[in-house]
Amino acid sequence: MQAFEPKIIAFACKWCTSKEVEELQVPSNVKIVKVRCSGRIDPTIILELFTRGSDGTIVFGCPLGECHYETGNLHAEKKIKMLKKLMSLSGLNSERLRLEWISPLEEAKFTEIIRDFVGQMKTLGCSPLAGEKPDVNMLINLEAAKSAAEDFRLRVLVGREKWLLDNGNVYGEPVNEGEFDALLDEIVKAEFIRHKIHYLTREKPRSLKELAAFVGIKPALVLRHIMNMRRKGMIALDRIEGTTPLYKALEVQ
Amino acid sequence: MAEEKVGAVLVVGGGVAGIQAALDLADSGFKVYLIDQSPSIGGVMSKLDKTFPTNDCAMCILAPKLVATGRHPNINLVTNGEVIGLNGEAGNFEVKIRKRSRYINEEKCNGCGLCAQKCPVEAIDMFNEGLSDRSAIYIEYPQSVPLKFMIDREKCIGCGTCQEICKAEAIEYDQQDSEATLKVGSIILAPGFEPFDARLKSEYGYGRFPNVVTSIEFERILSASGPYGGLVLRPSDGEIPRKIAFIQCVGSRDAQLGNNYCSAACCMYGIKEAVIAKEHVPTKLDCTIFYMDIRAYGKEFDDYYNRAKEEHDIRFVRSRVASVTEDPSTGNLHVYYVEDGEPKTEEFNMVVLSIGMQPPKNAEKLAEVLGIKLNGYKFCQTELFSPVETSKPGIFVCGAFVAPKDIPESVAQASGAAARAMSLIASERGKEIVKKEYPPERDVTLEEPRIGVFVCHCGINIGGIVNVPEVVEYAKKLPNVVYAEANLYTCSQDTQEIIREKIKEYNLNRVVVASCTPRTHEPLFRETVREAGLNPYLFEMANIRDQCSWVHMHEPEKATEKAKDLVRSVLAKARLLKPLKKPIIDVTPVGLIIGGGVSGMTAALELARQGFEVHLVEREKEPGGHLRKIHYLLEGEDPKERLNRLVKEVMENGKIHVYLGAEVTEVSGFVGNFKSKIIHNGEEKEVEHGIVIVATGAVEYKPTEYLYGKDPRVITQRELEEKITRGEFKAKNVVMIQCVGARTEEKPNCARICCGQAIKNALKIKEVSPETDVYILYKDVRSYGFKEDYYRKAAEKGVLFINYDNGRKPKVTNENGKLKVTFWEPTIKEEIEIKPDAVVLSAATVPNPDNKRVAEMLKVPLTKDGFFLEAHMKLRPVDFATDGIFLCGMAHSPKFIDESIAQACAAASRATTILSKKTLEMEGIVASVDEDLCSGCRICEYLCPYGAIEMKEKNGKITAHVIEALCKGCGVCGTACPTKAITLGHFTTEEIMAQVKAALMEEITA
Amino acid sequence: MSEKEGFEPRIIGFLCNWCAYAGADLAGVSRIQYPTNIRIIRVMCSGRIDPAFILEAFKDGADGVLVAGCHLPSDCHYISGNFKALRRVTLLKRILKAFGIKPERLRLEWISASEGDKFATVVKEMVGEIKKLGPNPLKVGGKS
Repeated sequence: MQAFEPKIIAFACKWCTSKEVEELQVPSNVKIVKVRCSGRIDPTIILELFTRGSDGTIVFGCPLGECHYETGNLHAEKKIKMLKKLMSLSGLNSERLRLEWISPLEEAKFTEIIRDFVGQMKTLGCSPLAGEKPDVNMLINLEAAKSAAEDFRLRVLVGREKWLLDNGNVYGEPVNEGEFDALLDEIVKAEFIRHKIHYLTREKPRSLKELAAFVGIKPALVLRHIMNMRRKGMIALDRIEGTTPLYKALEVQ
Repeated sequence: MAEEKVGAVLVVGGGVAGIQAALDLADSGFKVYLIDQSPSIGGVMSKLDKTFPTNDCAMCILAPKLVATGRHPNINLVTNGEVIGLNGEAGNFEVKIRKRSRYINEEKCNGCGLCAQKCPVEAIDMFNEGLSDRSAIYIEYPQSVPLKFMIDREKCIGCGTCQEICKAEAIEYDQQDSEATLKVGSIILAPGFEPFDARLKSEYGYGRFPNVVTSIEFERILSASGPYGGLVLRPSDGEIPRKIAFIQCVGSRDAQLGNNYCSAACCMYGIKEAVIAKEHVPTKLDCTIFYMDIRAYGKEFDDYYNRAKEEHDIRFVRSRVASVTEDPSTGNLHVYYVEDGEPKTEEFNMVVLSIGMQPPKNAEKLAEVLGIKLNGYKFCQTELFSPVETSKPGIFVCGAFVAPKDIPESVAQASGAAARAMSLIASERGKEIVKKEYPPERDVTLEEPRIGVFVCHCGINIGGIVNVPEVVEYAKKLPNVVYAEANLYTCSQDTQEIIREKIKEYNLNRVVVASCTPRTHEPLFRETVREAGLNPYLFEMANIRDQCSWVHMHEPEKATEKAKDLVRSVLAKARLLKPLKKPIIDVTPVGLIIGGGVSGMTAALELARQGFEVHLVEREKEPGGHLRKIHYLLEGEDPKERLNRLVKEVMENGKIHVYLGAEVTEVSGFVGNFKSKIIHNGEEKEVEHGIVIVATGAVEYKPTEYLYGKDPRVITQRELEEKITRGEFKAKNVVMIQCVGARTEEKPNCARICCGQAIKNALKIKEVSPETDVYILYKDVRSYGFKEDYYRKAAEKGVLFINYDNGRKPKVTNENGKLKVTFWEPTIKEEIEIKPDAVVLSAATVPNPDNKRVAEMLKVPLTKDGFFLEAHMKLRPVDFATDGIFLCGMAHSPKFIDESIAQACAAASRATTILSKKTLEMEGIVASVDEDLCSGCRICEYLCPYGAIEMKEKNGKITAHVIEALCKGCGVCGTACPTKAITLGHFTTEEIMAQVKAALMEEITA
Repeated sequence: MSEKEGFEPRIIGFLCNWCAYAGADLAGVSRIQYPTNIRIIRVMCSGRIDPAFILEAFKDGADGVLVAGCHLPSDCHYISGNFKALRRVTLLKRILKAFGIKPERLRLEWISASEGDKFATVVKEMVGEIKKLGPNPLKVGGKS
């Protein structure tokens, strides 16, 4: 049997390494994509790559304080943190996504890190989403994660996290990192669940019980999410069967 | 030297009571500060779905008042506010207030709501009783007044998103709490109540079992704008329940908790919630109400209760529920109770706890700051004969803070408190106010019609049945319609702003609203178009709710077609609408009061204190009415002494003209300018007055049952009271029978005061002769509010209360000269015989037989029972639909003295909103004559029932002329005119013809 | 098409503001259901209802017309407008025949503000009766 060769994507900020992609000595199963700044990486693209069977993604950014765009790398850090949360919620090992700081002066380190990451991915094995029979449930989860990541609510929080932690909030109060992270955890989870419900009710109307089984939370909590989704125009009552209301997703503008 | 008085009033609490008080005061020439702890006014009523006994949608009837309060030029709203200090004395107070920061500039916020849409933080929505979430920047409910957002500082993380998004630049993160000092002459307290915390009644499992909810949560669940969009769902799993139990008296009538009193409104709201739940649930729903006594004591409440039993199949079980447990696998609940001596268990999908009313949370603090006394239950202390006064002069009180009560009683008390607050500073009327200014009216006579159409969803009331977007699209295609849109609630304050904007933006010269009935909402919208510079009569309404969506609930397509027809028809009329001028009439600042009982006299005194002259007409030779026959009172006051004091005050007041042994025989004229004939001492006198107050009282029913009139030992409660007072009552054994002439097949409604009367007399008997046995045979003991204390006391003294129902009425017979009462004892399940020395019948209080004559004379309606029918049972308890005529006391329905006094003050307050004005702006819909067409035939003059037409000669031609102040706008003249010279404005022949034609233009079937 | 089964009568209702219109509102508030065939036109008083309005309605194809006001004798908000309506409708019924309209198509009712159920019943009855009578013969293209 042939040894498992993980498919890996590496996003590298163009300021981190002066060499062209071809000049970097990395194994052939690693595809390097150069970006203008690690902060510009779109979280949905990373999730999309996983749905398409990528086994691991690594992002290189400039070390703290050295970003060409001053804070791009810090934003990358926040985005990756959120993505890891979403991956865990989806059931995908969050170690399949890694963020590394590297400066142009340490090019040797670059290949070293890649090699280490490849090794780690080999140990983790093939992504549940790769191959002939991808995990359908996980695919749904990743779709939900993708829409959640696109949601204004998460974008705004992740976008502001850095600023809030550095400067305090608009009332001039310091923001505690641990507390903020806990809040973010909660919100990422809520958005993930809501987008999963949305995804599941797109094809056909579903009951709370059904949704609770899919999402793995109590019906009472599903009800709460559905009512929040209703408030936001994501879902509507489709019909009532016996004593059971069925809900259907609305197109989100 | 006393400082000068101030013509301003502070109202504390912006619920329905506070709002009513504020409106009355402001409409009578006083500046009002209305302070509320919440970010918006509306109180508990704004959370209710429907209201009993009319099943009116609470928001629908409250919204116009909210809007009127919000836009009143003389009401200054202080939201998020509290009173923190008080100086001075009656007539001249200095009140220190604190206003919590909203973090939003109220001047700049336009309520667009974009901030809430983008806010990333969610918080538990307490307006929905925690059943749903909202954003950290929020308004309490869609119709909030003021429609200003607020930041929930507890939840806000300070991310700054709202500030970036707000186009109005209204967000002010650095806004601080502020303090201010207000100078006012008097203060009215209307802080409402605090719902009982059902967790304290742990045996019912609230807080542990998700499907046990409180009644207020259930109101929100029923509400279209509530957490579940009006679907009745179980919180545990979102399923629609098939069986719901309602448990009454949770936190009321409970000695263990110390809440001995009855919360007075829960029986009715419990029944209402059961009825409405059945209406909301598409499948079959069984509702069971567990109760101790059904206290349906209000006007026509028993009719409602009976309908609930008979038409809606609601099951009533007389039992205090012992406990509730949950089946964790299904979320269903087991209710344990005892019925007919048997312990029983029954499974339900959901349990609703009818929670009682507690004093407001800040009652003690408020009492301390203001220096007023509270009663033993920490409600505000008042006296029976001064029901709206606190212990401190100049500070008045109304609503549930006095005692638990329902909406109409709160509203009446609020008006009553307003009257008392005003009379204290009557000399300062008009000194602190500004007059409402309208923009100059645009002349549209030469313009082509440009019509704007606003179609209301009314939550789901209309939109749930009629396809509103389709109606909007349809309207857009009709001639002269230049703009059309749909609104969630067209009546809300933000929509008024939108209508005004659209009038400007599209240069509209006619506006059509398709929503509910013009009978309630036309004034609001007319005001709105007037504020936008249009003549108020360039407005028309299509009734697509009361006369469409609500009556065609199962035919959405046909209802949509009908709505389109109605809109098209009304648009055809709107195209032809012409601006009308509102005549201005003078007001005679004099009142006429019919009836000189405690209500009539109180109203007279209040009006006199306001500075108005009063004619008080009493049929009897002596004033005092019903009160003359009362010798002692439950609460201990001496009724004779109080009556004498009141009579003396009335007789000595120079402004009050008292006519005893007199009768009003004719009333003509109209609001502000009535003319009446009084027959007094054989002479006819004519008086002019601006208003009429009906206070004709009620009479005791003369029983025909239970041997009354045949056996002298069978007497009524009033006769008993007379005998006891004279010391003539001796008996070892007394049986009292309740509900004589009330709650029967023919007379289904409760007479309200008889339970109190029976308890009073039973206690008196026990006081004078403790060894006498007293049995009270009752259907339900309706000792509501704090009267429950006396019921308890009577039971403690050994008075025996035995329940009976219409199927097993007691029998009174004369057996060989001995009285015998036979009745069924439901606990031991045996027929019992007693041979009492006396049988006392609690004879109902029935309408004054003269009501019919008075009603016809005044052209005001009576209920089917024969009491006077007010303009609206919930929110206009002392008004008639006819302007300038008011009612109070037992003419309205049976009631206790304090209730009559509060209503009498209320009638005076409502009357003052007219009498305090030099001139009134009249309705502009009057007849007008085209002199060129008029042939002078005099048919109209002959037909006009108001004598509003006179013939005048001009240039040698005699033509008809309309006296506008007399014209009531019926249009009879126009219908009869052979030359079509006279017509009624707003209902012209052309307009109605166009409406008919348009209504029939299209087939209603596809 | 089977004429009577598919036939949905169109009825115009002239209702006075104070009693009948309020009664119709009450039917709504009480959620009493009735057929959708009626289109209501509000007037202040039944005495305002000109026979010309009724004739216009029939001319425009109404299959029935309801005139409703306050109860006799004294419920009328304008003292006696209901009597005037009574006289006019009675006279009009006599001459309707001359126009080829059966007088049964015109109905006069007294409905108070508290009679929501009565209003609904009247509409139900009228729809039933007019279904039996068939369409208004004056209707353009209508069958007589």
